[in-house]
Amino acid sequence: MTKKSVTKFLKKNYEGWLFNLPLAIGLLLFTAIPVGTSLYYSFFETDGFTYTFVGLDNYIKIFTRDRSIWQVVKNTLAFAMISIPLNLSLSYLLAQLVNQTRKGVKTFRLLYYLPVIIPLVVGGLLWKDLYDPTYGIFNRILELIGLDPFPFFFQASTSMFSIILMNVWGIGGGMILWLAAFKNIPKTMYESANLDGANAFQRFWHITIPLSTPMIFFNVVTSIIGTLQYNGTLTFAPREGRGVDDSLYMYAVKIYWEAFHRGQIGYGSALAWLLLIVCAIITILLFKKSKWVFYGEDI
Amino acid sequence: MTTMEKAVCRDNNRARRQKKYVAFLIYALMALIAVILVFPYFYMVMKSLMTSEEVVGPVRFFPSVPQWVNYLSLFTESEYLQATLNSLYVIGFNIIAVPLSASLIAFSFAKLQWKGKKMMFAIMMATMMLPATVTQIPLFIMYSKMGWIDTLYPFTIPNLFGGGAFYIFLIRQFMMGIPRDMTDAAKIDGASTFRIFWNIMIPLCKPVLIYLMVTIFINYWGDFYGPLLYMSSSEAPRTLAYLIFLKSTEANAATQMAHMRMAGGVFMTLIPAVLFLIFQKQLIEGVTLTGSKG
Repeated sequence: MTKKSVTKFLKKNYEGWLFNLPLAIGLLLFTAIPVGTSLYYSFFETDGFTYTFVGLDNYIKIFTRDRSIWQVVKNTLAFAMISIPLNLSLSYLLAQLVNQTRKGVKTFRLLYYLPVIIPLVVGGLLWKDLYDPTYGIFNRILELIGLDPFPFFFQASTSMFSIILMNVWGIGGGMILWLAAFKNIPKTMYESANLDGANAFQRFWHITIPLSTPMIFFNVVTSIIGTLQYNGTLTFAPREGRGVDDSLYMYAVKIYWEAFHRGQIGYGSALAWLLLIVCAIITILLFKKSKWVFYGEDI
Repeated sequence: MTTMEKAVCRDNNRARRQKKYVAFLIYALMALIAVILVFPYFYMVMKSLMTSEEVVGPVRFFPSVPQWVNYLSLFTESEYLQATLNSLYVIGFNIIAVPLSASLIAFSFAKLQWKGKKMMFAIMMATMMLPATVTQIPLFIMYSKMGWIDTLYPFTIPNLFGGGAFYIFLIRQFMMGIPRDMTDAAKIDGASTFRIFWNIMIPLCKPVLIYLMVTIFINYWGDFYGPLLYMSSSEAPRTLAYLIFLKSTEANAATQMAHMRMAGGVFMTLIPAVLFLIFQKQLIEGVTLTGSKG
């Protein structure tokens, strides 16, 4: 490039780049360099001070020598595969219930949304207390009506059930999304379906579901990626977030544990990079396979 | 009245009665769900008003005498007050820095023509799916080398650069919807690009900027994980969310001081709840904007 064309390029484009400069600097310093460094660390055995090159050994270790990894993967997948569809369908039912113009419905919607507003760490504090084996109110109530105490988080076999139940508490978030999806469906569609004699299930299956697919799709993608990175168990699960017998040990907590507790920076980075690859594959697959998503005429 | 009319009348009555019955059932169901969903929070409020004996004593739902003094001692115990101030400092910084820098960037995407725009936009959107854990480990090492560990810098300085793809994307979407002639008229009058940005675009973007500020407030108010990574030593400044995290994960957390912990939890929920009540329209519209259009 000659000097002249450089000045010409700058003259034409400097304003855009100037306004964009914060992003360019920020992406470089706080995203690109860390992502690269993370990949670099993953090939070393390191505590951040001394580095020993081990090649792909950290990645091989994940699949062959890590004793807790399969439990962690199993927990994370079970949590995602039960919790996401369960909350999606329950919040649909809830949205249907409050999708009407009766008096006071708005207040009920607000009440249902309250648990979503409560900060994660307060939710953890709260549920840890509710589920406590001796002082928790749930077990006190069970005791009052003459039932045996339920161990909740304090037994491996009931932990997953307990966390899924706890997660249902936040269905108000899904409810809001469903309500918005309903709002975008023209009323005339239901009216003409009624004239044709469609029953409630047919209206649900042939109108509500197809026209809500952008919302369902978005919700599923963000929920899957969110669940893979879920670290909320740190706030309430026994054994510093890992649960009894690792029964609540989730992938993101595993990364935290390896890198920050045990100082295995290299191994933690390898786990994080594996997560990055999985998230990328899921995103690409879902967007490629998203032909069933119906965007209507506006897109 | 003919028999026919009587029959119609009877049918109408029956339909009306049936309608009332259905309405009653719907309200009962809605109330039941509300009781179930609100109970945990209600119980936390009640527990926060009990004495230290009542929280560990036999089961009870209400305190015998509400101990409002619990909330008072929350703030005479200076750690909660200091933690609240630290949280507010971080929030105060970000609530200005993020909308400002994010809208500069969004403006370059929405209203300016320049080479490299498409590439920068694609890179930015790709960072949205990047798991935060990938950058956290190297950032920890980087911050240690810079002497930022156990300071508030990791929660302020990085946010001078737009504060994340999501915020920038939201403002950009909003700016795209502002008609061209608004800026064209100013351009003819000879206004500089920065003046167009500052005097025309920013005031027009008020709704989305308010949404951003409230979201930023709620996010930083509740962030316990950042402090856990970057400010976990005992000399480090505490934020409120992290203080509550520490209190709830203490070894003897189940029995001791449960009432005080609950008071802390209730206090911590108060501000987001008030913000939500004030801005519920914008917040729900924002959720649905990001949710239904993807």
